Amino acid sequence: MSEAAASVAQTLSITKIASLAWRAWPYYRPQLKHLITYLLINATSGALMLGGGLVANDLFNNKILVGEPLQPLQATLLFLDDGYVNVAAAPVEGSDASETGMTDAQRGTVRNRLFVWGGIAVLLSAALFSLAWYYMVWIYQMINQDLRVAMMERAESLSLRFHDQSRTGDAIYRVYQDSATITNVLQQLVITPLRALVWMLWGVILLAFFSPWLGLLCLVTTLPIIILFRYYSPKIRRSAEWARQTNSDLTSRIQEALAAIRVVKANRAESQVIDQFNNDSRAALDAAYDLRMNIVALAMGVLIIAMGAVLCAEYLMAGWTISESATYLGGVISVVGFATWNLGAYRSAAGTIAQNARQGADVAQLWGGAQDLIVGLERAYYLLDQEPEVTEAQDARPFPSTIESVTWRDVAFRYNDRPVLESINLTAARGSVTAVVGATGSGKSTLMSLLLRLYDPDHGDISINGTPLRQLELPSLRSNVAIALQQNMLFTMTVAKNIAYASSNPTRAQIEAAAVVSCADEFIQQMPLGYDTELGERGSKLSSGQRQRLSIARAILRDTPVLILDEPTASLDAETEHRVLRNIAEWGRDRIVFVITHRLSTIRNANQIAFLQDGRIEELGAHDALMALEGGGYRHFVDAEIVSDSPGE
Amino acid sequence: MSDGATAQFDDRVDVDPAISSMEALGLLWRSFKLLRGVPGLFASKFALALLGIFPPLLLPWVGKVIVDQVLLQRPFGGTEVRFPPFMTPFLNYVAGMSPIEIMGSIVAIYAVLLLIFGLRAGGTGAGGLTQGQDAATQSELALSAGGSRSGGLVGLVETMINIRLTQTIANRLRTLLFRRLSHLPMTTLDDNRIGDSVYRVMYDTPQVPQICFNLSLTPFFAILGAMISLYLMQYSYGQVAPELVWIAAALVPVAIVVTVPFSSLARRLNQSSRAAGAATTNALEESMENIAAVQSLGGMTLEKERFRVRSVESFKRHRHAVLFTQAMVVAGILCTAGAGIYVATLVTDRVIAGEMTPGDYSVLFGLYLSVGGTALAIGMYWINLQSNVAAVRRVFFFVDYPVEDVRSADLAAPASVKRGIRFTDVSYQYPDRSTGGRKVLSDINLKLSIGELVAIVGPTGAGKTTLAYLLPAFLRPSSGQVYFDDQNIVDVPVNAIRDLVTYVFQEHVLLSASIRANLLLANPVAIEDELRAACATAGVLAFIDSLPDGLDTVIGRSGDTLSVGQQQRLCIARGLVRNTPVIVLDEPTAALDPETENALVSALHNAAAEKLVLVIAHRLSTVRRADRIIFIADGRIVETGDHASMMQREDSPYRRFVTLQSSASEARRLPLPFMCLMTPSPMQST
Repeated sequence: MSEAAASVAQTLSITKIASLAWRAWPYYRPQLKHLITYLLINATSGALMLGGGLVANDLFNNKILVGEPLQPLQATLLFLDDGYVNVAAAPVEGSDASETGMTDAQRGTVRNRLFVWGGIAVLLSAALFSLAWYYMVWIYQMINQDLRVAMMERAESLSLRFHDQSRTGDAIYRVYQDSATITNVLQQLVITPLRALVWMLWGVILLAFFSPWLGLLCLVTTLPIIILFRYYSPKIRRSAEWARQTNSDLTSRIQEALAAIRVVKANRAESQVIDQFNNDSRAALDAAYDLRMNIVALAMGVLIIAMGAVLCAEYLMAGWTISESATYLGGVISVVGFATWNLGAYRSAAGTIAQNARQGADVAQLWGGAQDLIVGLERAYYLLDQEPEVTEAQDARPFPSTIESVTWRDVAFRYNDRPVLESINLTAARGSVTAVVGATGSGKSTLMSLLLRLYDPDHGDISINGTPLRQLELPSLRSNVAIALQQNMLFTMTVAKNIAYASSNPTRAQIEAAAVVSCADEFIQQMPLGYDTELGERGSKLSSGQRQRLSIARAILRDTPVLILDEPTASLDAETEHRVLRNIAEWGRDRIVFVITHRLSTIRNANQIAFLQDGRIEELGAHDALMALEGGGYRHFVDAEIVSDSPGE
Repeated sequence: MSDGATAQFDDRVDVDPAISSMEALGLLWRSFKLLRGVPGLFASKFALALLGIFPPLLLPWVGKVIVDQVLLQRPFGGTEVRFPPFMTPFLNYVAGMSPIEIMGSIVAIYAVLLLIFGLRAGGTGAGGLTQGQDAATQSELALSAGGSRSGGLVGLVETMINIRLTQTIANRLRTLLFRRLSHLPMTTLDDNRIGDSVYRVMYDTPQVPQICFNLSLTPFFAILGAMISLYLMQYSYGQVAPELVWIAAALVPVAIVVTVPFSSLARRLNQSSRAAGAATTNALEESMENIAAVQSLGGMTLEKERFRVRSVESFKRHRHAVLFTQAMVVAGILCTAGAGIYVATLVTDRVIAGEMTPGDYSVLFGLYLSVGGTALAIGMYWINLQSNVAAVRRVFFFVDYPVEDVRSADLAAPASVKRGIRFTDVSYQYPDRSTGGRKVLSDINLKLSIGELVAIVGPTGAGKTTLAYLLPAFLRPSSGQVYFDDQNIVDVPVNAIRDLVTYVFQEHVLLSASIRANLLLANPVAIEDELRAACATAGVLAFIDSLPDGLDTVIGRSGDTLSVGQQQRLCIARGLVRNTPVIVLDEPTAALDPETENALVSALHNAAAEKLVLVIAHRLSTVRRADRIIFIADGRIVETGDHASMMQREDSPYRRFVTLQSSASEARRLPLPFMCLMTPSPMQST
C-alpha cells in the first residue's frame, strides 16, 4: 500500500484531477437539474449581495454617517425625491466648508429606508439560506447514495480471491468515508475554487480601478504563495493517504475482534486484542494530526503573506485618502460616490483587499482539503475498478428450463498456487443422487464451488445440458442451483426471512412446507414468535442441529433443479437425520442432487459415488461396484466407517 | 420491507434510547469529568485561548482612530466618547503625529500582532477537509477537530494543543468502550450487532470532546468576551447611550429561551439518525464478512437492496436533524438581527445628531456584533449539546452495561484443577425474553475427574452446549453450584477460570492472519515445538507442512485456504496449545472423515492422561471410546456410564439412541434415491 501512496503523491497533475473529477459525472448526472437550480440560486444571491453590499456601504458610511448627498440611483432605490440629491447649502459637519450635505432629518429618513431594506434582506436571505442548505444536503446525499450502492454492488460480485485478501473493515471504510468525498467534488474542486478565483479576480480589477498600484500589489503577492502551494501539496497528499489507511485499519481491527470475540474470550486473549486496538488507534490519531497540521501550515503561511500585503495597501490608501487623490471610479458616479479617495472608498477598497486575502487563505485550506478529497476519491474508485473474476459471456443464455445433466470435463483448479483439483470428469443425470466422498481436504467442497461459479476452473469446463457455465447468465445460474452450506450460515433476520433468503417471493405456506421437509418446523413452532422470531448475531441462538435444518429448509425452498448438500447432517443425531433424509428423498425425485457426506447410510443409496483423493476422482460408480474393487480406497473408507459406527467393540 | 421503520432499527440490546432532561444532564456531567484526564493539555489550551482574547480588543478602537483621526483627519477629543484605559499608551505614543505618521505606527503594530496573534487574519483550523452528509463521515472529522481564534504563532501552537486534546479525550473513551464491548457476557453477544458496535466506537465516541469543550471553554470565553464588550460599551458609551448596553445584555437570555423548549426533539432526531447509520453498518458488515455464503446462496441482489434501503433511511434521518438545526439557527439570527437593527438606529441617530462620530459607530457596532454573536452561540449551544448527548448516550450505554467480572486473578482463585469438577443441583435458564425463560438445564449432578475423557451425548437441543458453557463460566448457573476441586467457582473471576479451562467452539472462527498468529492467540508464549506438537495431535501438521509458507501461511478471510475439516482441526490445535487442565470440545469431529476422526479421538485419549477432556458429539464413533458417557435429553442427565456397560442394560435410553444410529448404517437398500424408513417409529432395533 505504501507504493500506492508514493504513486498518489507523485503523479498528481491537472489532468489527473480532471479525470478523477470526471469519473464523478455519472453520479452527478441524475441530479443535474437540481444542481443547476441550486447553483443559480447561489449565484444570484451572491451577485445581489455583492452589488447590494457595495451600495449599502456607500449609503451607510458616506451618506448617513457623514452626510454627503445621495447619488441619483440611490435616491430611486430608496423611493426618495431629488431633494436628497441636490441638497441645499448646509455644510457637512467636520469637513471642508465647501461641501454641502443632507439635513439631519434627511439623513434619518435615508437611514430608516435603508434599514427597512436591510431587515427585508436579512429575513429573505435567512430563509433562502436555510432552504438552499437543505436542498444542497439532499442533492449531495443522493449523489453519495448512488456511489455507495454502486460500490456495494461491485463488492458483492467480486471474486472470493479478492475478498480473501481484503479486510471487512476496509470495505466499511471505503463505503462510508471514501465515498463521501464525492459530495465535495463539485463544490471543492470546481465551484468554490472557481468562485473564489472569480471573486478574487473581480476584486483585483476593482482595486485596479481604485488604483493600479493596488492591482499590482495583489499580483506580486501571488508569487510566494504559489511556492508555498507547490511545497505543501505532496506532503498533504501523503498524509491524507496515510490517515485514510490507518483509519481503515482501525475499523478492520474493531470488526475482526468483535467477530471473533467468543474465541478471544475463551482464550483470554482480550488484552492482546486491546493492545492491538490501542496501537492502531494511536497510528490513526497521529496520521490525522499530521494531515491537519500540514493544512494549517499551508493556510497560515498564505494568510500571513496576504495580510502583509493588506497592511501595505492600507498604508498606501490612507495616504491617498488624506491627500484626496483621484480614483478611477469617476465614471460610475451615478451609483457610488468614489471619484476621489474618501471614507467610503477606503472602506470599500480595504474591505475588498482584506477579503481577497481571506479568500486566498480559504483557497489554501480548500486546496489542502482537495488533496484529501482526491485521495479519498481514488480509494473509492479502487473498488469500482476491480473486475469480477467470474464474468458471463457476451451472448449468455438463461439457465435451461429442463435440466438433463451436469458434467465436469477435465476440470483442474489451483488455489494460491496449490493444486486442489485435477482431471475431474464427472456427469450426473436428472433424477440421480451423486455422493461425493473423501478425506478432509480432498477437494469436495471446491468441486461444488466450481459448479456455483464462485471460481472458474483453470482447465476444462463444467456444463449444464452441454452448455458451458460461462455461456449461462450468472444470476440465472445461481438462482437455479441451491446449496445447503456446510457452515450453516444464517443471517440476523427472522427465521422466515432466513429460510426465504434469495428465494423469489415465497408465500408463508411455502416457507413452512420447506421447514417441514427439513424437520425444522417442529422446533420453530416452539420458538416464542415462531417463524417471526429474530435470530441472534450470526444465527447464534440456535443449536447447531437447528441451524443445520434451517439451512436445509432454505435450500429446499428455492426449489431448484440442482441441489447441493454439503455435510447436511453432520450436526444431526441419527433420528433427526433419518427423518430429514427421508423427506428429501421424496422431494428430490426429478432433480440432480449432490451430497457431500461421510454418512454411510446416505452414501450407500446414492446412484453414483465419486470418491476423491488428493483432488482426483479415484473411483466412480455405485456402492456395490466400488466395494468389489480389491484394495480400493472406497472400500477402505467404508470399512473404517462401519467399524466406527457399530455399537459393539 | 419493514427494515428501518422503527426508531430502534436493529437494536436489540439498546432498546430504549429515549433520554429525559435529567439523564441528559447526567450524561453531560459524565462527559465533562473526562477532562480530569487531560489537565496539562486543557490548561495550555485555556491559557492560550485566554491570551488570544486581548489583542482583538484593540481592533475596534484602532479602527476608530483610523476612521476619525487618519481618514477624516479630525483631531482627538472631538466627542464625549472616552477611549478605554488600555488605549492610553497608544494614544500617548501617537499624540502630535500627523495622520500619515499615525497610520504608519498603526501598520507597524498590526504587523507584529499579525505574526504573533494572527490579528485580523481570522482563526486557525483545518477547514476544507471533506465532510460528508451523514453523521458517520462528520464524526471522523470531529475526532481530530481543533483550532484557535487566533492566528499566527499563538494560533499555531494552540491548534496543535487543541487537536491533541480532542483526540486524547475521544481516544480514552473509545478505548474504554472497546474494552467493555470485548467483555460482554455470552448471552448478550448473541444479540449484539457487530456493525453497530463498530459504529459506536468509530462514529459515536468523537462527539464527546465537543461536549467537554462546550461545557468549559466555549461558555467561559463566550461570556468573558461578552462581558468585556459590555464593559467597554459601558465605559465609553454608558453616559452617552446606556440603553445600548442593556439591549446587548438582554440578547443572551432571549436566545436561550427561544431554543431550550426544543431540546428533546433535538435529541430524538439525532439518536434516530445515528441508529439508522448503525443499521446500515450492520447490513454492510454482515454482508461483507460472509461474502462467500452470500455468493453461494445467490444473495447479492438481496444484500445490495438491504443496504440501499437502510442507507437511504440513514440519510433521510440525518437530513431531518440538519433541517432542525438550521431552523434553530434562523430563529437565532432573526432575534439578533432584529435587535441589531434597533441598535444601529439608536447609534446612527446619535451620529447624525453629532453626539458620536462615524468612528464611534464602527466601534459600537463591532462590540454589539460580538455580543450578539455570543448570544447566538449560547442559544445554539444547548441545542448542539443535545445532538452530542444523543451520540454520547450510545457510548455510555455499553460502558455501563454489566460485563463479565473481569477482575484479575487473585489469591482466592485456584491455581489448578487437580482432582476434577463437580456440579451440584445445577440448573440454568436463559435470562431473557426470546427464549421465554425456559429452563434449559435442570438438576444437573455430575462429577468429572482429571484423567477422564468424557463424552456428552444427546439429541439436538438437549442442552449439551449449555452444560459445556458452564465450565469456562461463559454462563453462570441460575441455581446450584459448580466446584473446581473443592472450591465453589461462583466468586472466582472469569479470567482465573478461563486460565484453567479451554473451550473449542463448534463454529470455526479463525483470524485472517497467519496460522502461527492464530495459534499464538491462545498462548502467546508458546514455542515452536509446542505449536507443532499441538498441530500434530490435532492431525493437521502434515497439511501445514505441505503449504509453502508452513505455519506462516496467511489464512484468507473467506476461509478458502483451508477446507472446513482443516479449519476444524486447526481450531482444535489452537485449543491444545493452551495446555490447560480442562479442555472442552464442541462437536470436534462433525466435519471429519472416519479415519481422521479415529486418529483425533486416539490423540485426545492420550491427551486426557493428565487432563479432563470433555467432548460433545453426536456420532457414535467419537463417543464410543470415552471413559464415561453422559446422556442428556431435555436438559436432564438421563444416564451415565461407559459405553459397554450401558449397552448391556435392557431399557437403557442410551442403547436405544445408539442402536437407532447403527441400524441406520446398515439400512436395507430401497429403490428410492435416499434411504427411507418404512415405519416412522425410532424404536426399531436389530
